[in-house]
Amino acid sequence: MSYSNTRLVPSFNRPPSKVAIRAVESYESDVEAIVWEILQEFNLPVQGKSVLLKPNFVEPDSEGVINTNPVVIRAAREAFLRMGAKSVIVAEGPGHERDTEGIVEVLRLRDFIGPLDRAFVDLNTDEVCEVPTRTQASKLKSLSLPKTVLGADFVVSMPKMKTHHWVGVTLSLKNMFGIVPGSCYGWPKNILHWAGISKSILDINGTVRPDFAIVDGIVGMEGNGPIQGSAKAAGVLVAGDDPVAVDATCARIMGLVPERIDYLKRAALLLGNMQEEKIQQVGESIARTRKPFEVLPAFQKLCA
Amino acid sequence: MSTVAQLETLPVKELNTIPLPPDFFSDLLRTAQNTDGGWGYRSGLASCTEPTAWSLLALRSQEPPDGKTLASASAWLRSAQLAKGGWPTANGKDPGCWTTALACLALLKISGPSDSAVLRGLKWLWETWPAEGSLLWRLGQRWQQRTEQIVRQDFSLRGWSWTPETASWVEPTAYVLILIRNVPKGLYPPKANERIDLAEKMLYDRACPGGGWNTGNPLVYGVPGVPRIGPTVWALLALRNRQSHRKNVEGIQWLERNYPSICGPGSLALANLCLRVYGRNVSPVEQQLRKFYERNQFLKSVPAMAWASLASGGIPDWLVCNSQTRGGA
Repeated sequence: MSYSNTRLVPSFNRPPSKVAIRAVESYESDVEAIVWEILQEFNLPVQGKSVLLKPNFVEPDSEGVINTNPVVIRAAREAFLRMGAKSVIVAEGPGHERDTEGIVEVLRLRDFIGPLDRAFVDLNTDEVCEVPTRTQASKLKSLSLPKTVLGADFVVSMPKMKTHHWVGVTLSLKNMFGIVPGSCYGWPKNILHWAGISKSILDINGTVRPDFAIVDGIVGMEGNGPIQGSAKAAGVLVAGDDPVAVDATCARIMGLVPERIDYLKRAALLLGNMQEEKIQQVGESIARTRKPFEVLPAFQKLCA
Repeated sequence: MSTVAQLETLPVKELNTIPLPPDFFSDLLRTAQNTDGGWGYRSGLASCTEPTAWSLLALRSQEPPDGKTLASASAWLRSAQLAKGGWPTANGKDPGCWTTALACLALLKISGPSDSAVLRGLKWLWETWPAEGSLLWRLGQRWQQRTEQIVRQDFSLRGWSWTPETASWVEPTAYVLILIRNVPKGLYPPKANERIDLAEKMLYDRACPGGGWNTGNPLVYGVPGVPRIGPTVWALLALRNRQSHRKNVEGIQWLERNYPSICGPGSLALANLCLRVYGRNVSPVEQQLRKFYERNQFLKSVPAMAWASLASGGIPDWLVCNSQTRGGA
């Protein structure tokens, strides 16, 4: 994990980022093989390392539209283990629901990753360390962060591709809200909203930048996301080692202009590449996979 | 997935082959207590305010009471209290927050309402207001024309927040109201009744259309929010002396309808307790909770163990309905 106690400064001379897009028809496809192939596009230093997969679990959802699908989580877990990772755990701190076990039971997560006492950590109830924010974009000067996350060698953000009624879209950067424990911040983590959602997204990712992102866009959510929208079969997995580039690519696939998304614009200054010319696409092209998402009227301005 | 209904119809796992003591969950809690007297959120983690408060409330109901355990837990809670009277989430952290109501309730039930730590905690709660809903905040929002257009609710109604200087939410408000009902009216400060009325109105305002509560946004962009078990339980328990109110009736009906599909042990324990407080005839829940425990060990959650312990016993005295609208300890 890229954590160090130094301030981040804007960079205008960043090398290009690589983002992989793969068309995936459904969760019945050979997702394990596809995720394995995606990861082989990147030279990931996970040999002998502890890997933490951070999915997006919000509420119990029997429809499978709100939360990252466990098929994708299992595929990532198996692939990282095959690449020589010392351990791979799944960790999440749901933002609306205190009964995390209820969410993972509806997902049948145990059937995909094995006994939860070894493979899953509820970040809402983890021990925390107070860590100064590296970006200081919001008024929060420090964050209470879970020791499980701070102790992981390699953090993978695994969101669902969704619209969001406060910030437009929720992808790998916004997904990192889930590492902040509810025991300290509440359900919902309201203090992050009061500090400014966009600025808080920057502070969290600036302090604990995910090393890799895999976005579950096989079935995403459009309209009044991230909870009450409609299923959108976008049919893609999007992945890369620059979360800003991954999110910008997802936004383009969703028919949105990343430069108009406030937190992505801020993140592009400090954390990664947003401009299309600075992102090398591998696999499918944006044009071939583009599936415009419906957005709420308040976010029409984000549409291409 | 194992819902309550499925657990009831599944071939019963041979519980007899794994003998479990009758006070299984309270024994789990005792085993999970740290040497400093408190409990962590999960077994083996550093002590925190909320799990210690729930464990204390659960274990004080056991017969015979384990004086040593209760004394060390009370001592831990006292040591965690901040100079201003509030409790933080964990010892050594700052500032006071939503856990104050739970710590106060636990100490009140152990030592009585005149306990100095309880009185200081109550003072902190009476004096703490959420930032949202203040006149200044509402003027700012009107100028920005933002939040009030997205979230339809009456922002002049204020309860309590999770963390200082933020918004009112259902659960922290409910915790305080439950505490206050256990405090004798003689200890109320001036204007306490107005504050309680405001908080109760806030809870009713945040009820989801059709029944039940979510965390506290019943209408976003005009779309009704989906109720959740936890917030519904806490709101109903906080408003339990108004059981004939339309929103109580809708809420308890929603809870009854959704009870069979509950998939998590914490939600199941709390829902069972709430239905019993409202006089509903529900089956004893301990066997189902044990099956949940065998499956995932509650993810080692100490609050879930405490709620399971509470749900396995009678209705706790701090949730008993009384004829008074308020107070009555």
